[in-house]
Amino acid sequence: MFRHNTLRYTALVLLAAGALFQAFTAEYFGLEILTEILILAMLVLALDIVAGFGGMVSLCHGALMGVGAYAYAILSTKAGIAPPVAMAGSIALTGAAAWVIGAIGSRSHGIYFIMATLAFGQMAYSYVFEAPIFGGDDGLGGISRLDLSVIGVDLNDSRSFALFCLAILGAVYGASVLILRSGLGRSLTGVMHNEQRMRALGLTVWRVKADVFGLSGMIAGLAGALAAQHIMYISPGLLSWTVSGEALVVVILGGLGTLVGPLIGAAAFVVLKHELSSVTTYWHLVVGAILIAVVMSRANGIFGWIESRWGGVFDRRLADATRKQEPEEALNDA
Amino acid sequence: MAHDLGFWTLQALNALQLSMLLFLLSIGLTVIFGLMHFVNLAHGSLYALGAYFAASLAAVGGYWMGFFLAPVAVAGVGILLYSGLIKRMRKSGPMAQVLVTFGLIFVLLDLTRIFWGDLALAIDVPTLLGGRLTFLGVEYPTYRLFIIVLGLAIFGALAFVLSRTQIGAMIRAGVDNDAMAACLGINVERLFFIVFCVGCALAGLAGAVAAPLLSVTPDMGLQILIPTLIVIVIGGLGSLKGAIAGSLIYGFVQTFGAVLAPQLASVLIYALLAAVLVIKPEGLFPAKG
Amino acid sequence: MKRAILAALGLATSFAMPAAAEDIKVGLLLPFSGVYASLGNEIETGFNLGLQQFGSETGVTFEIAREDTEVKPPVALGKAKKLILQDQVDVMVGIVSSGVLGAVRDMVHGAGVPLIVANAGNDEATGASCSPFITRMSFSNGQINRPMGTWMAEQGVRRVFTLAPDYAAGRQMIDAFTETFTAAGGEIVGQEFTPFQKTQDFGPYLAQAKASGADAVYVFYAGGEAISFVKQYDSFGLNADLPLYGSGFLTSPLYVNAQGEAAEGVITALHYAPTIDSEANAAFVAAFTEETGRAPSEFAVQGYDAARALIEATKTGANDRASLATALRQVSFEGPRGQLSIDPATNNIIQPVYVYETVAGEGGLTQKVLAQLPAEADPTNGCEMAPLSN
Repeated sequence: MFRHNTLRYTALVLLAAGALFQAFTAEYFGLEILTEILILAMLVLALDIVAGFGGMVSLCHGALMGVGAYAYAILSTKAGIAPPVAMAGSIALTGAAAWVIGAIGSRSHGIYFIMATLAFGQMAYSYVFEAPIFGGDDGLGGISRLDLSVIGVDLNDSRSFALFCLAILGAVYGASVLILRSGLGRSLTGVMHNEQRMRALGLTVWRVKADVFGLSGMIAGLAGALAAQHIMYISPGLLSWTVSGEALVVVILGGLGTLVGPLIGAAAFVVLKHELSSVTTYWHLVVGAILIAVVMSRANGIFGWIESRWGGVFDRRLADATRKQEPEEALNDA
Repeated sequence: MAHDLGFWTLQALNALQLSMLLFLLSIGLTVIFGLMHFVNLAHGSLYALGAYFAASLAAVGGYWMGFFLAPVAVAGVGILLYSGLIKRMRKSGPMAQVLVTFGLIFVLLDLTRIFWGDLALAIDVPTLLGGRLTFLGVEYPTYRLFIIVLGLAIFGALAFVLSRTQIGAMIRAGVDNDAMAACLGINVERLFFIVFCVGCALAGLAGAVAAPLLSVTPDMGLQILIPTLIVIVIGGLGSLKGAIAGSLIYGFVQTFGAVLAPQLASVLIYALLAAVLVIKPEGLFPAKG
Repeated sequence: MKRAILAALGLATSFAMPAAAEDIKVGLLLPFSGVYASLGNEIETGFNLGLQQFGSETGVTFEIAREDTEVKPPVALGKAKKLILQDQVDVMVGIVSSGVLGAVRDMVHGAGVPLIVANAGNDEATGASCSPFITRMSFSNGQINRPMGTWMAEQGVRRVFTLAPDYAAGRQMIDAFTETFTAAGGEIVGQEFTPFQKTQDFGPYLAQAKASGADAVYVFYAGGEAISFVKQYDSFGLNADLPLYGSGFLTSPLYVNAQGEAAEGVITALHYAPTIDSEANAAFVAAFTEETGRAPSEFAVQGYDAARALIEATKTGANDRASLATALRQVSFEGPRGQLSIDPATNNIIQPVYVYETVAGEGGLTQKVLAQLPAEADPTNGCEMAPLSN
């Protein structure tokens, strides 16, 4: 089960403070980067829930985010539905799609599950790429942001939008913790550790997996709806499997199964990407090499490394052996 | 659409040709998985490397030099990858492996861009295989027939090695239960190494064979990866029978889908894959029952 | 990010007007990675060459900020915003893919920053979603293909099978051709659109073309797809009975040598061929060949003319976003492509279209110009733009 400890609280407070500081002081491009980080953070939280706590390593979360983005765009521009309703609709739709994928994939494990999710993601990508209603390769534009003028907030202002995303990320983090602490979340971790035993205990395993995957999909859909509003333009590239791969990279980079780690990973990844791409067009090479190094180092990402190194100083109770093992097991048994 | 028999023969040959190209790629990937439980997402990048090596070698010593040496060169890259990365990842779970090879995709992609540039390259079909042959009543490019024959030959050779030779028996034992095979005195590590190298060489061969047919571009590895993965997941990971069956299914669905239902062509294959995963989550012919 | 370079020749500017030298900030928005990286590099080479050649004609110096779009519309939009809001550029140049142009269009229009389009050809950009701030120095998809329909019908081609990738540009190119070809009495006997960027094996479609009973095949493919297509067309032996025509990107000088003998005899239409016989073109080809060791492509000339248009605009005294936008709409000059001007109704370029055949020459394949079709303005396609007021 997911528990906070002093180190995790400290990291969260520092991250929130850093984001707020950036939101109030950064000039235009800094705000763009901040918003990109916040939206990516939502996506990787969704992925960490299923991969880090359920052993369901998904290569379709990028596509789910894309489904959310396209659903929001189509509902709000073509169907003329009010943005808040369109947003709710896109979240529900993505959640439903994810639930189906989770249900179908629940029988597959390990690499088969990875491949199955990859296939579903690519299916969505191909469909969006080719169906004329989605604008094909050229994508869709003219997407508007939520209108919060009733409470005196203009989301078309970059700073307001960044703060809005930060607030939503906070809510998503809270929801993720609640999901993981609920009976459903505990069952999920039980399934990850020993599916047979949970089944013997009378648990409907496929339902647990599908439900959590659906909830995770809703978060991904929310991230997608916000991404569409942030860029105000979407293209099929959003659904490509490499986006899902990058999200997995971020989770691993930050620390699988820690929730806090992926947030750090998202910030590190986006900043690294922008810094490197301004220096060289071969920035993928460097990112790839860093990824290989992180995975090969066998540390559980940046945060896993921090926890194993300094966790004890902050919190004696962290010496609890079971929790230390958790992330590593997830990496090995996934 | 009224088409004569010749048209359908031609399309069947097209489908077979695509299947054989995919077979060359997927067989390496699937046997490596069967034996080592290791999915190499960078397999497509090795294919692209094969094509680039073939293009460079062909510029120096003609097509056949590329044909024979590109697989060797790619196997050499495979040895480097094996000793540098993969040997150490043997004990890690599938996610760690997927991520390392995912990183490798980007590294190899940018390395090909640095060495060969962004412009597409091409190789000419060798004179021996140029032109067309009349086959089953239709005129068909000789080079495409060559790919079909080559694929079938490799399939035959692998089937023979796996079922009739000692090393084949060792590989089968390793796929079935590597710990037990090690107990019986089989040097499983060396077996892994050999299989990995052969798999890489076959990917390189596929690249060298595809190069004159297609254009050689940095992203060709990424483009072929998804079809290859679909083939091995449909066929069932780890088995020769699965690789050939998956390749044929993919080739025929893709080709005839393009002719009969062009709007659905690209979604069709994913729908089929989803159906297979629902009915048989481990693929049609998994290595282990 | 900070690789701004002083592009104009320091010597010439200081000699012309040392004190009043003004600085114009140019944002170059091109793909330097991704599938169109080679086009981005080609356009940049042409652009820099243009600044070198004509920089001495103006007293202005150019500072260039260069951003990589990665051919991803969201990334490109982010970079465009950065150029406009943070770097405060006076003018932007570039854009290869139509998707990227569609993504940045509203931003550019809203911010009132002039954009010189150096490739992307989607018809809407100078049609329904035209903008007084977007001036296209490259081509429109319809523009290149429309004259070819009439020309082919005049050459006695009656029945045509068409093929193109299934995306907006592919459809616009084929539609423009179809429209004039059928109007001139031709017949389209079959039409297929192949999955864009996912088709490597054209065998199934070639078999359909062969079985269709057409006299000729008309296609649009570019880049890697063009190389595969032309080679496979030849390998099936279709050239003998079914001559291959197309929009000129099919046999672009940028990659025609990768197609080799297979490209011989292919007849295509384009706004540029390196063998156009004119003084301006000879000078451009010589300068480009000296720089890179090979003949320039249409992409290079688009970059070159974009630089020239910018310089022509500054020569009128334009020095900020608004005045540059107005001046760019009125540029007109004789370039390597012939006489160029901007259509005031749509801001699209008006230029001649060349029909050329790819033939074997000394040192590789070359382009034999068969006909120069007169320059025509595109239909306005729903473009409603305030007319020039000055």
